[in-house]
Amino acid sequence: MGLKNMEVTLVKNLGSIIGFAIAGIFVMSVWGAFVEAYGIFGGWFAGLMIISIMWFMNHFLGLVANEGAFVDMAAGIGICGTMRDVFLQGPQAGINSLPTLAFVIIGAIIGGMAAVAVEKVWAERDAAKTKDISM
Amino acid sequence: MAFPKIIATMAGGFIFPFLLRLLWGNLCDNFGPIGGWLAGGFIVGTTWTLNHGVGLIYQSGEAWIDMAWAAFAGLFVASAISGDDVGKGVGMIINAILGGVLGGFILYCLYV
Repeated sequence: MGLKNMEVTLVKNLGSIIGFAIAGIFVMSVWGAFVEAYGIFGGWFAGLMIISIMWFMNHFLGLVANEGAFVDMAAGIGICGTMRDVFLQGPQAGINSLPTLAFVIIGAIIGGMAAVAVEKVWAERDAAKTKDISM
Repeated sequence: MAFPKIIATMAGGFIFPFLLRLLWGNLCDNFGPIGGWLAGGFIVGTTWTLNHGVGLIYQSGEAWIDMAWAAFAGLFVASAISGDDVGKGVGMIINAILGGVLGGFILYCLYV
């Protein structure tokens, strides 16, 4: 591996780390402030305001340099929020939250698999439609 | 954690990556990058109102478990079973852990 390649690899990984960290910092501070100021609408608006531009940077432009199985910037956001409270309140706070974390992830895995199943059915349906039109 | 809270929490975890995987890409196909902006509001914002606004995801402890955990786990599994390279993905997960812990520490410095 040449020096140029090493530099590219380093920037890709550092860029990804920075992208995950910035997304996490915005969501886990500003979002809650919007909720305090404007209630549930503040929370909805925070989604629009923060996720839009963070997604554009991290995934559309590609600061998070995904090459394999997709790691959403949400990984950094989720870890940031949990670790914020572990830093502030100690490891026991994190241990107490493990049941919620486990059930969220179980639900998420089923949700991801269900979405792929639906996607396959939609793809077959759309392929059949295209065939009908071309005939 | 009581049984109804478990059901509610798992449902919240299911819904978020399900919507993200099925809708985000289609919004971008239809509207270009603006679809990503719409998705930020109407997928993430709207699902937030359900999962955290009214609290479908029950918090068992003091450390915040955001629905972002669901997006991460659900989208990674969906991508992996669709044939994407898990090994390269694990490298990026390590970056996410480093970035997430760094972000959490910076916010500790803000709030402590």
